[in-house]
Amino acid sequence: MRRGKKVRINHEYEFELDLAPLLAVMVKLVPVLLVSSAFVQMMTIETQLPQVVQQAIEKNEKDEKATHISIEVKEKEGVKIVVKKNDGKESSEIVPKKADGTYDYARLHERLVAVKQQNPEVFKVDLSPDGNVSYNDIVRVMDEARRSRDNNIRFPIMDKLTNKETQTDYMFPEVTFANTMEG
Amino acid sequence: MGRRKYELPKQKNTFGLNITSMTDMFTILLVFLLQTYSTSDVELIPENGLRLPQSTTSTNPVESIKLTVSKELVKLDKTKIADMKDSNFEAKDIDPNDTNFILPIFNELDKIAKDEKLKNDPAVKEGRILLQADASLPYSTLRKVMYTASMAGFPQLKLVTVVGN
Repeated sequence: MRRGKKVRINHEYEFELDLAPLLAVMVKLVPVLLVSSAFVQMMTIETQLPQVVQQAIEKNEKDEKATHISIEVKEKEGVKIVVKKNDGKESSEIVPKKADGTYDYARLHERLVAVKQQNPEVFKVDLSPDGNVSYNDIVRVMDEARRSRDNNIRFPIMDKLTNKETQTDYMFPEVTFANTMEG
Repeated sequence: MGRRKYELPKQKNTFGLNITSMTDMFTILLVFLLQTYSTSDVELIPENGLRLPQSTTSTNPVESIKLTVSKELVKLDKTKIADMKDSNFEAKDIDPNDTNFILPIFNELDKIAKDEKLKNDPAVKEGRILLQADASLPYSTLRKVMYTASMAGFPQLKLVTVVGN
């Protein structure tokens, strides 16, 4: 009986990977992604505008219960923070502008953190900028008021569902333009 | 002595293109594009020359009526509704009895608010506006827009900003 031929395996055999289908997929994907790409990422700041009729009633109801905090952005003096307690006591302080004429945002943030620490239950502020204050400055003031930048500074908040106290870095995320209806 | 004719070596008609480097390039491009891929369901196209303010907010825009106020014009969605002069509204667009009331903005928003087809649109129902305004505009100009929008039944204003520090 004849012995079968021994099969030899060439272990040094090289082959080229066919990348054409992969490239074809990529060529199709790239235009799709190019169209749907956002090279400038845009976000929004939510604000509530006072309603013409109902707002006054709602505001009065809220004022009776909580401390009222307002931020007045003055064109010349700087930023004025006014805190009106529910017992009628009112305190205010001004964060003056810097020597170069720009608003002192770092100092404003510090003062807002202090106000929040004294009034942790308040999340809403009324913003009243002067007519000549630029939109950019208004957005910066809102940024400083929104949340604490320091990771070690947190404010207590009561979770009504679990009835436990938790911590948040949010300070005054709700902003209402208070002087919109003024002439 | 006869001249020897030079013959070119016989070549195959087809050749294999090396696409490895091209695939590398496409992979890098794909990763970059995936990073910048927009997950927001709202398409916002900034107006030419419009400089939006920078903010640290991280709220994604929601479907709303899009209002653009640049230093040159006012646009509702993609339609120009008024011209601007020196970062303020032109005298003809301001109501003579109320200097905060901008007639073209009110008329257009009022049309949307009263449109029967848009009655069930959540943006119209809740009175939401996405405001794209130039960072250099004074508050007095923006206040007029806010006042007019509020009068037309659009009290929820969402300020569009670009991501920054």
